[in-house]
Amino acid sequence: MRPPTGTLRRAVTLLDVDRRRVVLALLLGTLALGCAVALAGTAAWLIARASQMPPVLALSVATVAVRAFGIGRGVLRYLERLVSHDVALRGMTQLRTTLYDRLATGRAEAVLRLRRGDLLARVGADVDAVGDVVVRGLLPIGVAALLGLVTSIVMCLFWPPAGLALAACLVLAGVAAPALASRGARISEQRAVQAHADMTASALGLLDDAGPLLVSGRLQREMDALRAADTRIAVATDGGAPSAALAAGLGQLAVGLAVLAALLTGIPAVGSGRLAAVDLAVVVLTPLAAFEATALLPAAMIQVHRSRAAAARVLALLDGGAGPSPVLDDPRRPLPDLVAGDLTCAWPDGPSVVEGLDLTLRPGRSVAIVGPSGTGKTTTLLTLAGLLPARSGTLRLDRVDVSDYGREAVTATVLVGTEDAHVFGTTVLENLRVARGDVTRDEASAVLERVALGGWLTGLPDGLDTVLGPDARTVSGGERRRLLVARALLSPAPLLLLDEPAEHLDPATADALVTDLLRDPRGVVVVTHRLSPLDAADEVLWLDGGHVRARGTHADLRRTVPGYRAALELEGAGGAVARP
Amino acid sequence: MRPLDPRLLRYARSARGYVALTAGFGVLTATLVVCQALLLAHALGGAVQDGASLASLRPTIAWLAVVVGARALVTSGQERFAHRAATATITELREQVVEHAVALGPRWLASGHGPAVVTLATRGLDNLQPYFVRYLPQLLLAATVTPGVLLVVLGLDWVSAVIMVCVLPLVPVFMVLVGRLTQGRSERGLVTMQHLGAQVLDLLAGLATLRAHGRERGQGARVHALGDAHRRATMGTLRIAFLSGMVLELLTTLSVALVAVAIGLRLVDGELALTTGIAVLVLAPEVFLPLRQVGAQFHAAADGVAAAAQAFAVLEIPVPVTGTEPAPDLRRVVLTLDGVSVRTTHGRSPAALDLDVQPGTVVALTGPSGAGKTTAVEVLLGLVRPDEGAVKVGTLDLADIDPTSLWSQVSWLPQRPVLEPGTVAAAVGGVHDAAAALTGLDAVLETLPDGWQTELGRGGEGLSLGQRQRVALTRALVSDAPLVILDEPTAHLDAAGEAVVLDTVRVLRAAGRTVLLVAHRPSLVACADTVVEVRSDADAMDPAVPA
Repeated sequence: MRPPTGTLRRAVTLLDVDRRRVVLALLLGTLALGCAVALAGTAAWLIARASQMPPVLALSVATVAVRAFGIGRGVLRYLERLVSHDVALRGMTQLRTTLYDRLATGRAEAVLRLRRGDLLARVGADVDAVGDVVVRGLLPIGVAALLGLVTSIVMCLFWPPAGLALAACLVLAGVAAPALASRGARISEQRAVQAHADMTASALGLLDDAGPLLVSGRLQREMDALRAADTRIAVATDGGAPSAALAAGLGQLAVGLAVLAALLTGIPAVGSGRLAAVDLAVVVLTPLAAFEATALLPAAMIQVHRSRAAAARVLALLDGGAGPSPVLDDPRRPLPDLVAGDLTCAWPDGPSVVEGLDLTLRPGRSVAIVGPSGTGKTTTLLTLAGLLPARSGTLRLDRVDVSDYGREAVTATVLVGTEDAHVFGTTVLENLRVARGDVTRDEASAVLERVALGGWLTGLPDGLDTVLGPDARTVSGGERRRLLVARALLSPAPLLLLDEPAEHLDPATADALVTDLLRDPRGVVVVTHRLSPLDAADEVLWLDGGHVRARGTHADLRRTVPGYRAALELEGAGGAVARP
Repeated sequence: MRPLDPRLLRYARSARGYVALTAGFGVLTATLVVCQALLLAHALGGAVQDGASLASLRPTIAWLAVVVGARALVTSGQERFAHRAATATITELREQVVEHAVALGPRWLASGHGPAVVTLATRGLDNLQPYFVRYLPQLLLAATVTPGVLLVVLGLDWVSAVIMVCVLPLVPVFMVLVGRLTQGRSERGLVTMQHLGAQVLDLLAGLATLRAHGRERGQGARVHALGDAHRRATMGTLRIAFLSGMVLELLTTLSVALVAVAIGLRLVDGELALTTGIAVLVLAPEVFLPLRQVGAQFHAAADGVAAAAQAFAVLEIPVPVTGTEPAPDLRRVVLTLDGVSVRTTHGRSPAALDLDVQPGTVVALTGPSGAGKTTAVEVLLGLVRPDEGAVKVGTLDLADIDPTSLWSQVSWLPQRPVLEPGTVAAAVGGVHDAAAALTGLDAVLETLPDGWQTELGRGGEGLSLGQRQRVALTRALVSDAPLVILDEPTAHLDAAGEAVVLDTVRVLRAAGRTVLLVAHRPSLVACADTVVEVRSDADAMDPAVPA
């Protein structure tokens, strides 16, 4: 599958590179390699002329030039590398910022998807790959083209047949060989994609589940699967190798052909007096140094191919995020009165997970949503918060449809705390300040105490200033969940939607926390699967099979719904044992 | 960095043949380079100095064409085998690393090594590709072409050889000098760079959260500022890192220039024949070319060498010796943990745990999360060695027992059930409708297109966590293992699902099988004959956890 034409051009435009810097890098690169070519040509002229034993003074310009070219090459190349890398890094920053800004203001579901799978890691690598195209792809190609042109023209001035032959050989080494090399790389890559995915899955499975696989005696079978995937990778790599080999051979052959052509056309010309003997040495020996730029092109072509694939993914993300972007600046502050009527909740391209949902939320009112896992409770909360568009039905805030408001107006009123919310790689305090910039240290300590994280906070090496690892891999699942609850509680929004706040806690602490949340003076929706603490809720919605099966107060449901009572008794019976 | 680690040849058999082959190609290349230079010098010198005709030079030029063709073939062959050898070596190392890491056990993997080994096995080792394809051939050319050609130059014109011999040692000397100077700085730079890069990704990862809080605006400027800081840090590092490349290029090109000037001046004096001069001039760059290539490919290769070194480091950790005694019949003997502790970074977890698993009883392990309940199970299974205390199977020490003979008597349902790809029936171990009815799998099967014969992806893809758990529960039920270990079997289930698990446990007990439960929920604890509280050192200090 090839990305559409123009993909790379569009992505490079987004890099917004400074043209003057690119031209500077191109000139420096050409001059650097040009020094090497000029060194070879001048040295050839020098010794051929010297063999005619002229006065030493006649050679002085050439001897100085040869030394100057010898120094120029290294210095110019150093400058070129600095300029080109600077251009690329500036471009990457620009692209990242553009990507961030568009995602920040674009459709919410594109952002929510970012958290799924390895997409995020890929975005980082893809942006780098697009940026790399400047240094490793486009610039070497430009340098090779410019230098090849100039070298051929200069050689034509000495002896046109040799110059033309050199041009032809440069095309062979600079166009045909790179095309072959990139074809080889593409073949290997395409054939190895599936095998590589299988290998990764096998290796991950083996390393993640080493214990269970050992105990159940299935380890050997998984190792065999890994070996099989590896064998397929090897076969796929071998499929592209002939093209790569041919490309390498062609590159080497082109140099020899250019020298041979100069010899075969030049020697008779010297005999007939059409070419000076000294000039013959120049046209024969210069080609030996003229192929350095083209030797970099196979790698450059492969880079262009890679960058194009990366560019296609980055652009898809950008285009996916773009859309009917809501107005950002909405000074309205709607009254906290959220009413859902016959609401259907779903991901834009997924099946409906909950249908016919009616719900009213205002400060002082608490609603608990219970039901089996996997019934789309998180999707429901995201929809109620206006982050996912409602598939059908109405969702009104202050009697106006939620989608009519700007994001600012909605987030100032309704806050959703999902279980997969991000914990930033910064201090505990800064993580809490995501909810509100002016959270004081005392407020932070108090809220952590409230969600039963007081002991955890005491145990932290730097208290509130402890830096959490990226995405909080250093805290346990339960601690992470409660940290997110604490953050939600600090938000100024009068309506809170909370997802399983007490997961991973022991029953007594969990029930106490949920009860406390349900008694919060704000409007609170809590998704939970424990029923015992729901006496504190004004209304309980029992979801099953994508519908509200029953609703009412805890007491009503216990009296009228046998399944609810049975589930509650199961919890209660155990609870009595756990709390003797 | 060691250019060619002998351990590479020891661990990867495919690398050995390739290195030998490449060395052979190197010798061949050196010969061809010399032949090409001499033939070219002969033809050109004859034409320039003596005005020789094309007819008289035809044999020389024909031989030159043969040498040109041969060089192209050698380059082609080298490339052809390089790719194959790289892939073969990578896969060989990968399999060894994975196998060894698994043998080192879950505790080693869990103590921070797991993600590193995963990255190493799935991506890191792929960096050996440029090492094998680009770097190693140039390294061997530097070992063959450079000295070979230098010897020929010495034979032709000792003055030029002396110039080159003087410059040659300067190359590594300057490389090391520049490397030393830059190392500290570039390592610091690298840390800053990685830190800044991670911060940008962190902001991107948290974008959904920032949006939920209505705080997404203004962060774009922060991304830009971070990017700029990243660029400045990188450029600071590069400015110094590129210095070594510059020194290398400066030395090599300048010495070629000096050789050319020296030849020219002696030609004027008639001390040297033009043919010799041309040959030396053509050969001079060839002496330095492999060295320059080694320098140019150094960074690409360094990642590969680092990955290989990581792989060797893993392979050199000794695997604990396992016992050889066959395990006694678990239907008769008691499994005992006696004062078992496992040290972690947060103190011991579990701490001083005593546990008796009597045959035919239901034993529940309880305790707050992080107390070490799962670790206790892994100790009991011999997957984790305790730092303190003893594990006994009957009268035998667990360390003396062949673990496979113990495992074959155990059916273990871990927190995250592991299902192999295949049909539901294969995952359960046959079609068992009665068992499925008990575990609630029957309801799951009704929703699947092909019932028992539905193909599941790796790890039970296509099923929710709760559904996977029912599949695994059914497997535990139908297996005839005397000991069934259920780790948080109700974690992903609602009240109805929980009832199913309770029923399953009762059936298992009625069948006389031993059940070890890791339980959070009181209902599950209630159905146990014995309840054992697991504590860690951290719990003893944490007042938030009710005793």
